Amino acid sequence: MIAPDSEAGFACAIAAATAAKSALNLTGYGSKAGFLRPVVAGETLSTRAFRGVSLYAPKELVLSARSGTPLAELEATLAASGQHLIAEPPRYGFLGGAAATQSFGGVIACNLSGPRRIAWGAMRDHVLGVRAITGRGEIMRSGGRVLKNVTGLDLAKLLTGSYGTLALLTEITVKVLPIPEETGTLVLHDLTPARAVAALSAALGSPFSVTGAAYLPERAAAAVGYDRPVALIRIEDVAASVAYRLRALSTQLSRYAASTLLDRAGSLAIWQAVRDATPLAEAMPVQGGLEEAMIWRVSVAPSRGPDILGVAQALGLDGYLDWGGGLLMLAGPASHAAASALTEAVTAVGGGWWLLRAPEALRTSLACVPEEPPALAAIRGRLQTAFDPAGIFSPGKLHAA
Amino acid sequence: MLHDQTIQALTQRFGDRFSQHPAHCATHAHGEANPAAHQPDAVVFAHATEEVAALLNHCHTHHIPVTAFGAGTSLEGHVTPVQGGISLDLSQMNQILAVNDADLDVRVQAGVTRRQLNSTLRDHGLFFPVDPGADSTIGGMCATRASGTNAVRYGTMRENVLGLRAVLADGTIVDTGGRVRKSSTGYDLTRLLIGSEGTLGIITEIQLRLFGIPEATGAAICQFAGVAAAVSSVIEIIQSGIPVARIEFVDAAQMAASIAYSKLIGLQALPTLLFEFHGSAASVAEQAQQAEAITTEHGGAAFAFATAAEDRNRLWQARHDAFWAARASRPGYAVFTTDTIVPISRLAEAIAQADAAVARSGLDACVVGHVGDGNFHVMILFPDTPEAAARAWALDREIVAQALDLGGASSGEHGVGLGKREFLQREHGAPALAMMRAIKTALDPRGILNPGKILLDPLVSDC
Repeated sequence: MIAPDSEAGFACAIAAATAAKSALNLTGYGSKAGFLRPVVAGETLSTRAFRGVSLYAPKELVLSARSGTPLAELEATLAASGQHLIAEPPRYGFLGGAAATQSFGGVIACNLSGPRRIAWGAMRDHVLGVRAITGRGEIMRSGGRVLKNVTGLDLAKLLTGSYGTLALLTEITVKVLPIPEETGTLVLHDLTPARAVAALSAALGSPFSVTGAAYLPERAAAAVGYDRPVALIRIEDVAASVAYRLRALSTQLSRYAASTLLDRAGSLAIWQAVRDATPLAEAMPVQGGLEEAMIWRVSVAPSRGPDILGVAQALGLDGYLDWGGGLLMLAGPASHAAASALTEAVTAVGGGWWLLRAPEALRTSLACVPEEPPALAAIRGRLQTAFDPAGIFSPGKLHAA
Repeated sequence: MLHDQTIQALTQRFGDRFSQHPAHCATHAHGEANPAAHQPDAVVFAHATEEVAALLNHCHTHHIPVTAFGAGTSLEGHVTPVQGGISLDLSQMNQILAVNDADLDVRVQAGVTRRQLNSTLRDHGLFFPVDPGADSTIGGMCATRASGTNAVRYGTMRENVLGLRAVLADGTIVDTGGRVRKSSTGYDLTRLLIGSEGTLGIITEIQLRLFGIPEATGAAICQFAGVAAAVSSVIEIIQSGIPVARIEFVDAAQMAASIAYSKLIGLQALPTLLFEFHGSAASVAEQAQQAEAITTEHGGAAFAFATAAEDRNRLWQARHDAFWAARASRPGYAVFTTDTIVPISRLAEAIAQADAAVARSGLDACVVGHVGDGNFHVMILFPDTPEAAARAWALDREIVAQALDLGGASSGEHGVGLGKREFLQREHGAPALAMMRAIKTALDPRGILNPGKILLDPLVSDC
């Protein structure tokens, strides 16, 4: 493993790899090595020695940090000023528990967002600028620290979510926000998935600025202490307003189900579980443990969420819905047949997926993200060539070569 | 000049929607506020994505430039076909295809205008928040990554487009993103096309994210002795997490013009902040109270708050009429509007520097700004002569240079087009510009899509 501590060091290593046409696996601490397909590379280039917050202007709500900065370290820095990352990126339990260190760069490269995505946008939406090294070994910057700009192609957004296949991110500038003064959750009890998503949609369409909308069917609900399914609706704001809005929502949604309220502590705990997918590990024991499991993150139009959950359950998977029904976190025993049937059903409703964990045989033989239509695949190829002419960055991660 | 075979082929395909009429060519020679007009050789009015594909396929084969045109409201010359060729007018593709109440999204054709869209959405209790001044088309707003007065709360086009249908230079039709909430599983081509100013593809259909119309809306106004106190208030309000929908700044000169123009009562020619709050009735009142407490701490005076539509409009009159009030303050003068953005902590400094530059130039100017994000417009008023226009142009350049020195950008919402190309290298550096060029070459190898925009030197066509 090469772990430079300067941009010049990264540029040098990358230029050498390009000259030798030898592939590099771009990584931070390796927590997401199990995501998508296995990378075929002779050498690993890690950002772990390139860390630290380089600019933090709390008044401006802007933070820049080197890509190797551990997520926890960065969030602690923000919390000390009463602020946080808006998209509340998950720390998936199946990555290896609390011991797994995620890098800031990895969170951005995978565009990982938590429940607040539904109200405040994805991680990508808060990226204001990046510094990165292209396959030519050039240090590139795109965007800046202002909250919007319209000056040329948005390379920062393109690199966000590119899974280390276009360039190595070395520093990222994001918009941050104050931690809301209060948070509370309305719990709707014992709804079917379809009724629950209807209730969540009603809540999201209401004027009450809901910042979390999830549905936990029976097994996932059991993992957070309920013996029947629950739909969760979160409000975050100043205290008086949270209380008022929860009451108003409770009245508006009474036609769907009886509800109870979670206070600040209960709300924080349950949304952390939803964010980190802990119900998957606790409620879906797979024979042979997580090693033999497959874990999917599936994205569909919210109204399709209940159908896909039904399909998944019939295939022996289970999980829960977030993002008002639009995101499914699913786990179950690894099986090629079940995987194919699931992705077919998701394709049929125009959705997408990421295979976040599976035995290597499945990861190499399945489409870990949807296959692209030929026109989009052609664009992807041309963009890759523009950024990385020798094709050395994380080959095979997204699609088979 | 178009060859006969092109004229024949396009006439056959588009009938009288292929036009070389001088009147059509003249109206498609420029957007708003751009002196450097250049006429296309012909205008094509498209009705369907497949027609756009057929047109681009022909133009790609024959190396004919194509420049998209929507409502013609761009401010930096984006729609000017500087190399002639075809002006592709998408304004007749104006169907709202599907409003999905449950999923809070809508699919529209590129020529739908934002007012048309919101008028339809009102019946569904929904709205689309991005509101540039003009009644632009949604396609044009995507292409220029438009924003407006409520970007702090709702974001810009970048955050509110879920997916696109676009036609690439060779006529290939692609769908990016989609109905799903999460953006694409591959590269984010949606965000790459948004703000590409028609240089990478022609956007024909858009899936937009929608919001519920707030239960209540409140407006407020507050005046300050100086710009710094106003800006400090804004910083503290945003930092404290009050979810203000809009915060607009109007400087003393603009207030003087507006008081005279709109006959405003009870206001003085002082730096002024205007607020709009969205939420439940209780939260709107509470947001206003919190904002008032902060502005008072910073010496703000005459804080007024209203919730009834008529009263809100009265409070915001100065902002709504700003452009016309500025014009009326100097009859016969022309107006040129700058568009810089700086980190909000440097905003007071940036406005002071701009004021000093205005004073040195000997011209007059008013300042308005979307202060929540650090974006402000200096409306430079100048006599309508070439000499004065050159001074206004030079003043804009100076203000841009100041913004870049403060860590800002040359344009917050108007775009690069023709007007801001020279600043890109300084703002982004050579490697990023080289990547933009490489991407342009990869997607449009013959350089037929809106040639001459964003990047300064011409592409070298090798195919």
